Amino acid sequence: MQVSVETTSGLERRMTVGLPADTVDGAVEARLAETAKRVRLDGFRPGKVPVSVVRQRFGADVRNEVVGEMMREKFVEAITSEKLQPAGNPQFEAVKNERGADVEFTATFEVYPEVEVADLGAIEVTKQAAEITDEDINEMLESLRKQRVEYKPVERAAQDGDRVNINFVGKLDGEAFEGGTANDQTLVLGSGSMIPGFESGIEGMSAGEEKTIKVTFPAEYRAENLAGKEAEFDIKVNTVEEGVLPEINDEFFKSFGSEETTEESFRAEVRENMEREARNALRNKLKQSVVEALDKANQFDVPGALIHDEIHRLQHQFAQQMSQQQGQQIDPHQLPAELFTEQAKTRVRTGLIFSELAKQLEITASDERVDAYLSDVASVYQDPQSVIDYYKNNAEQLNQVKAVVLEEAIIDAVVEKANVTDESVSYAQAIAPAQPAVEEASEEEKAE
Amino acid sequence: MNQQRLYKVLLGPHISEKATIVADGSNQVVFRVTPDATKEEIKAAVEKLFEVNVVSVRTLVQKGKTKRTMRGVGKRNDVKKAYVRLAEGQEIDFLNFQ
Repeated sequence: MQVSVETTSGLERRMTVGLPADTVDGAVEARLAETAKRVRLDGFRPGKVPVSVVRQRFGADVRNEVVGEMMREKFVEAITSEKLQPAGNPQFEAVKNERGADVEFTATFEVYPEVEVADLGAIEVTKQAAEITDEDINEMLESLRKQRVEYKPVERAAQDGDRVNINFVGKLDGEAFEGGTANDQTLVLGSGSMIPGFESGIEGMSAGEEKTIKVTFPAEYRAENLAGKEAEFDIKVNTVEEGVLPEINDEFFKSFGSEETTEESFRAEVRENMEREARNALRNKLKQSVVEALDKANQFDVPGALIHDEIHRLQHQFAQQMSQQQGQQIDPHQLPAELFTEQAKTRVRTGLIFSELAKQLEITASDERVDAYLSDVASVYQDPQSVIDYYKNNAEQLNQVKAVVLEEAIIDAVVEKANVTDESVSYAQAIAPAQPAVEEASEEEKAE
Repeated sequence: MNQQRLYKVLLGPHISEKATIVADGSNQVVFRVTPDATKEEIKAAVEKLFEVNVVSVRTLVQKGKTKRTMRGVGKRNDVKKAYVRLAEGQEIDFLNFQ
């Protein structure tokens, strides 16, 4: 077997392999003899078909099959002996494939790039830390109360924040228009759910009152025939209700599934939750920051086959998300691949960097690390041990866990070595989703 | 002999265990032919279509089976076969013909 490898471009390699005629023909003959035993042909008893007839009928197919198998087999052999790391599947092409002559084929494939991770010390990582203050908790309590707001009818003029029940007829040049009329509509004033001017027009009206207000539709209103027009609304207010924030008491705590009875302990529970949330959010941000920094510091070509695979995966993920969020079924293959190319490239590159780092720093998903992670995950559940057992007995799940653990360990290791800038942020900033760098980049492009 | 007729005489090769045995052992080729074909016609047709020399032709008529159904007795068509012996060293490769 002669093997020669040439570099066609970048990471692409073309391997030419020659196979001696007698090996191939011998294998074909053996396969034919085997086929002759199984094949059923009219005019022949099963198993009595002569090899010559089988060759005449199936010779070409069998040969292609055998050569195809040999190509794959020899490719693997050649890869091992040449010490190459192919990425993705190779493309085979039989250059010469004739009976009685040496077979020659080429395999075109891409290799993994040699990843040399740049000095970790030169990497800039921002590590954010958040302190949860009493004010943050007050705010959180306030917004929790707003979620449980109750409305009670009042005998006074409506004001901002009140909920009103109205009938209205919208008229354009004295004619009622489509979609501009409703009865028994509830509306929270100041919620901004109606066009500007409508809600403020109702303020000051009390139950039973009727009034006509003039409102101008915004220029970019979604119904084109109304956009920018001035319309009159005949409004009748049925009820005016005042929003009442609930008292902070046992009942209020219970409505959030808490068993605490005192404000103090409820606050402590809220604080705990907030801290956990902030910790997770900051951890994610740190991770993102590390990934971005690594990506920036290590720019190298990645094999197209891997990018292609990754795009495929992202398409599926996206389609799944869409179907979950909006109940829409989309064919993942219809999504434009260009949409994901950049993201896929980054992800593939990060993946390569991470696996190289794991090798360099000798980090593995050790049992202790996995155990620690699992008990952490399980602590949220009622019966931690059963959760741990579930993961332990499920190889697929366990592998996923291992991957996560490994990633975390690598990130820790990188952060340890990198140039870390500490930054303290407020709780609101901490849980706000981080702005992906990719978006910023595209905006800059637009600006240019 | 009518040339048009020659194209209609041969219906196709008959491939079976026996056909392969006689092909190897006595250099014969088996055809299904039209029921009214004569040996002379078959010889001329084979020589013309496959460009070989025919030494001899032997024919037989294989009677169709009688099949009984609910509606009574039916009979399948008879098949006429021809064993054509080719000159020494010649053969017909059916892959290249229809």
